Amino acid sequence: MALKALLLGMKYLFRKPYTMLVPEKEPPMTTERTRGRHLLDMSKCVGCRMCQMVCPADAIKMYKVEGDFKRNPKKIFPGIDFNRCTFCALCVEVCPTGALSMTDITGWYMTTTDTRTNLRSPYDLAAELAKNEKPDFRITITKQTFLYQTKKKG
Amino acid sequence: MSVAEGHAEGKDEVLELIRRSLPPGKFKEVVATRWPRRYIVFIDAWALRPVMEALKVAGFDRFIAIEAIDWYNIEPVFELLYYVESVKLGGPLVIVRTKIPRNNPEIDTIRDIYPLAHWQEIENYEFFGIRFRGHPDLRLWILEDNWEGPPPLRKDFDTVKYVLETYYGGKKWERPVKRREPPPPRGEE
Amino acid sequence: MAESKPRMIFLGPQHPGAPGNVAFKVWLKGEKVVKAELVPGFLHRGFEKMMENRWWEVDVVLSPRYCVEDPDNFELAYVLAVEDLFGVEAPEKAKVVRTIVAEMSRIQSHLFWLMHMGGATGARYIPGWAMAAREEILKWYDYVTGHRIYHHYMTPGGIRWNIPKDFKEVTLRALNKVMPIVKDIEDAFINNRILRARTEGIGVVKGYVAVQLNATGPTLRAAGIKYDVRKVDPYEAYRDVDFEIPTGTEGDAHDRIVVRIREIYQSKRIIEQLVERVKPEDLNYRVKMPLLPPPSLPWPAVARHGEGMSRVEAARGEAMVHVVGIKDRKPYRVKLITPSMPLLTTVMDYIIEHEDITIADLPIIVMSLDPCPPDIDR
Ligand code: SF4
Ligand code: SF4
Repeated sequence: MALKALLLGMKYLFRKPYTMLVPEKEPPMTTERTRGRHLLDMSKCVGCRMCQMVCPADAIKMYKVEGDFKRNPKKIFPGIDFNRCTFCALCVEVCPTGALSMTDITGWYMTTTDTRTNLRSPYDLAAELAKNEKPDFRITITKQTFLYQTKKKG
Repeated sequence: MSVAEGHAEGKDEVLELIRRSLPPGKFKEVVATRWPRRYIVFIDAWALRPVMEALKVAGFDRFIAIEAIDWYNIEPVFELLYYVESVKLGGPLVIVRTKIPRNNPEIDTIRDIYPLAHWQEIENYEFFGIRFRGHPDLRLWILEDNWEGPPPLRKDFDTVKYVLETYYGGKKWERPVKRREPPPPRGEE
Repeated sequence: MAESKPRMIFLGPQHPGAPGNVAFKVWLKGEKVVKAELVPGFLHRGFEKMMENRWWEVDVVLSPRYCVEDPDNFELAYVLAVEDLFGVEAPEKAKVVRTIVAEMSRIQSHLFWLMHMGGATGARYIPGWAMAAREEILKWYDYVTGHRIYHHYMTPGGIRWNIPKDFKEVTLRALNKVMPIVKDIEDAFINNRILRARTEGIGVVKGYVAVQLNATGPTLRAAGIKYDVRKVDPYEAYRDVDFEIPTGTEGDAHDRIVVRIREIYQSKRIIEQLVERVKPEDLNYRVKMPLLPPPSLPWPAVARHGEGMSRVEAARGEAMVHVVGIKDRKPYRVKLITPSMPLLTTVMDYIIEHEDITIADLPIIVMSLDPCPPDIDR
């Protein structure tokens, strides 16, 4: 019995560690459906405030933007406070025009071995990232993801 | 949907058992609900203890919870729902429902019949202000040290407003604390 | 030596032997525990009130959040209660997928608990293994639902979006990665002589006493009582799957460990049966919900408003949700009935009263009961 446990321990001792080296060796752990940062198509948004009303975390505020927006006479657009957002995708689901969608950006990976970058703000890191390579992300959740059937009678 | 929609057809043995074992005259009605094997007993508040005792003898041995509903605008009462299920009989559930007046919410304790009721009664005391007669230890338990206002789950009390005013300094989102400056970057020198 | 007065110390909420956000006031006489009192409320967020202020379908976002470890079973409970109130029946495919998601949640909850249990007994290798296995399930969740911890994948009326095309392969692959680790944990930990010495005969709640203490879940089953809501009041797809209820005989801490490990195997069995029945091409997985709950029929003695109720077996025991709706976009009352409260109050009191336990046994007993403190606070 004790020998068996010892052997098992040995087995795990010689295995390669489970820990992933993000972001140095491996890409961030996202999939085709990861719900991350939002993307707003400003040419589609009509300023109807539906997303603001549905948001469970009260994360959306409407901001006035100057410019020529034909479909948005009031010129108000949702701005999302990511400190509050729960990434539930209800705003994407409820948006009548499909202006909101979600990408797979889940944040900046602050764990580096370089102590100088450790304490930089996310914005600094992002600027650096944008300088060095093109920021790549996928759009993962759109309005088309959600599908409704109307209930059949009988 | 109404709870009493769709009575169980045919002979329901558990329903008969509940009818038989409850003390006569102490309960108003026993109904089978539209949920299979779940029953509701309507009683007056004074008859709570004899009814719960009779249910325990009849085999409803596992006490689940006490729920209070504040029918504030609709009717000036608190409705109390006592959930009991029977492990012995293999799973039927009985809900004992009663109403107590909203301005004097008092009902007998059943903490000596089911041990868990002791804690459930404390919970309902702190969230609704219902007093359980004969309970020795009614106090703030979950809300201890966190709450000074009236019972927060009552309908006539705006909990959100109170919390924002009392604990968040009137601001909607932020606490009134000063943000700490981020420390200077390490390893620069 | 003269009899000394019991000395009170705090255990938790930051203590590694405490099961999370909960504390105990422990009265000690020397090493012996004379009394332990629960101090809850460190994670009280007022879910019942918050849900009254949000729309029916938006509350799904709140519903899993009162238990981090086992979110989907609670989400399922809320969704079922709302469906019951609205009189909507989810399509067959949605039911099967929800059951799979809920069973995965049970497995990951038990793995999370294994981590705690290993920590409490000082088996330092177990937390790493258990979390590695749980990570595989979290990756599966990310692939299927889009999130790792709180998934918001169910909604009243079905599931929110379709399953991926390779759902079956991905699910079986995740299970095939988890199960060898569970087997290893079983060999190295559960049958370990040191663990047996520390857990056998400790924290005994045996037989009918467990029911009288109003215990639930694996604690009840380890006491030898075959009781599981999935069997006695089947919901979703549990009606036509084949599984067993593992029970213990002694009702001690070791029995509870064994029961949970065997439940992981049963969950795997359920998932393997159900995975065959879902087809990604089938688009009938979500029906549209009406905005307002239907008016209820008049009934003399009942409140005249609609009510919905659900009863599910979460990883820690029986969970219920009772919703009351007047004709409004928001619920009038949501009652969340959660399984953890009896475990830390009545059962703990009973164990301390009937056994000689020392301060070293206390974390083991608390962990073997596997409470989820946030669901006491809500
Ligand atoms: S719901 Fe869509 S269209 Fe309406 S304001 Fe929000 S983003 Fe714009
Ligand atoms: S994802 Fe959810 S929480 Fe975030 S902004 Fe949209 S609705 Fe609000």
